[in-house]
Amino acid sequence: MKLGRVLAIARKNLRALRHDKRTVGFLVLMPLLMITIFGYTFGGDVKDLKVYLVNLDAAPSNESVSAAIINDLRTRETLDIRMVYGPEDIAIDPVSLVRQKVQDAEIWAAIVFGGTFTSDVEDAVAAIRGGSFSLPGTFAVYIDGTNPNIVAAIVNDLQKSVQKVLVSPPYGIVPPIAVTPDLVYGQGARFIDFFAPGVMGLAAMMVTFMLSIISFVHERSGSTLDRLLSTPVTEGEIVAGYALAFGLVALIQSVVILVTAVGLFQITIQGNLLLVLLMIFLFGVGSQGLGFVLSSVARTEFQAVQFMPIILFPSILLSGVFWPIEAVPMVLRPVSYFIPLTYAVEGLRSVMIRGWGLDGIWFQLLILLAFAVVMLLLSTWALKRRR
Amino acid sequence: MGQVAKAAESEVIRTDKLRKEFDGLVAVSGLNLRVGRGRLYGLIGPNGSGKTTAIKMLVGLLRPTSGTASVLGERVPVRKNIARVGYMPQEMAIYTDLTVHENIQLFGQLYSLSSESLERREKSLLKMVDLEDRSDSLISQLSGGMKHRVSLASALIHDPEVVFLDEPTVGVDPELRVGFWKYFSDLKSVGKTIILTTHYMDEAVRCDTVGMMRTGDLIGEGTPKQLMEATSTLDLESAFLAYARRSGE
Repeated sequence: MKLGRVLAIARKNLRALRHDKRTVGFLVLMPLLMITIFGYTFGGDVKDLKVYLVNLDAAPSNESVSAAIINDLRTRETLDIRMVYGPEDIAIDPVSLVRQKVQDAEIWAAIVFGGTFTSDVEDAVAAIRGGSFSLPGTFAVYIDGTNPNIVAAIVNDLQKSVQKVLVSPPYGIVPPIAVTPDLVYGQGARFIDFFAPGVMGLAAMMVTFMLSIISFVHERSGSTLDRLLSTPVTEGEIVAGYALAFGLVALIQSVVILVTAVGLFQITIQGNLLLVLLMIFLFGVGSQGLGFVLSSVARTEFQAVQFMPIILFPSILLSGVFWPIEAVPMVLRPVSYFIPLTYAVEGLRSVMIRGWGLDGIWFQLLILLAFAVVMLLLSTWALKRRR
Repeated sequence: MGQVAKAAESEVIRTDKLRKEFDGLVAVSGLNLRVGRGRLYGLIGPNGSGKTTAIKMLVGLLRPTSGTASVLGERVPVRKNIARVGYMPQEMAIYTDLTVHENIQLFGQLYSLSSESLERREKSLLKMVDLEDRSDSLISQLSGGMKHRVSLASALIHDPEVVFLDEPTVGVDPELRVGFWKYFSDLKSVGKTIILTTHYMDEAVRCDTVGMMRTGDLIGEGTPKQLMEATSTLDLESAFLAYARRSGE
């Protein structure tokens, strides 16, 4: 293998990119867009959900439990309490009205406290203190269940408010068991911290895989491949040149993502940045190799392009980029472990969030190395069999 | 040195019963070709007669189904002598997303030319194909004929001893075509061997030897003059038709 020829092939691929401003824009913007959009949407909690309240509680407002809960709810950002109906509005049938609002999808939820709410709660508290039992006070919550995330956010906030009111005077009911998580890793980590390594892996894969498929399709459709193979350059040198060029593209791209993620979202990187880049490079080399192999074994260019969704969709969905592998159904779990992106994402997270070094991620690194080597060998084989 | 060895040395290209089938379809059927050093050999024949397939086997892009072929005394696919062989495919064989200069640089680097000799060769070749002022243009911005000329220049960048040119003059305007043929004869005069295909029969008269191909085999071979005399015709096209009739009988 001659380095000069490998570099000539790599340079050709990079120069072709440089002349194609739109593709360069795509390469830089795509991950930037991904991290920004995902960062803002997933990164923040659900906020300002429109909610109507009906409080028919008969207790005077300074003793009313419902009023205390409502006051606490007002302090939470999740809910945007637009309207509170009281007993004085009974003529307009506020309960039916707010339910209708939910049904018409004008608001996400309606919360209704009945007339005996405070007295029910007080009876139940007295019963607990006296060692007997009484039915708990209840209030109704009508929620638009279209989006499970929103349902969870509303219920979560309601429970927090109820608990807060009960803990404080005059009730002072402290739950006998408290769960207090002690984070081993990721203190102060937000969703974006979990997400950034995933996006880096995903972007590296998508871009290198697509670039090599498309470049090689071009190489086939023109006679440039024939032309290359009639020169002293060997199949191995062509493959190495491609790997070098697109591995480099993956590196540049991941730096863009890192800079954006750190600058815009203040993500924290605990571990060694070089280890991160090494993993990205190996994974980029492997992914472009996969594209190269598929593109060269395909009978037609159209077939080659069809491989894109076949490879990308399972990778995006099953590799733990958006949700943990543990959330993937058992039947599909083996597929997850067969997808290289799974190991890339796991390795990147371990370094970036857990701050692990080589001793912690050697397994993932080994898998990525094997992926790269196998793909390079397969690419060489695929080129040779074309003769 | 024996007589046989001497003959083999002056024989730059030799094929014996060279055959290529694609899924049972015969493209080249038992071709026996001899091309001596310093000859300008033209393969003529209609589309599908096997010219391109034969050339692809000679440059090592296709494996023969049976028979043998050698270039510069080495059996194909040639590796040892590959840098002494040049090839210009029929279809566009340059990178449209690179400039003229970058294409020529790439191929020069693949032949491991030093940067000085690469620069020198690039300059003289671009002059030959009349593209000196388009060196920094992207190929995609050039006309069809210009692309073809870049393709030719890049095939000759390493100053090969044997050059395979598959339809080198397609899409080249008549004036420049004359220039091309002048260049081919210049190459010949310094001892280079050229084997080219063409379907412009009038051009083929300029070759030393013409091989007429039809359905994968030679149906006639000789100097243009011999071929016309043998068929009592006045041009190669009529000669070809006469040979075709004869072989069909």
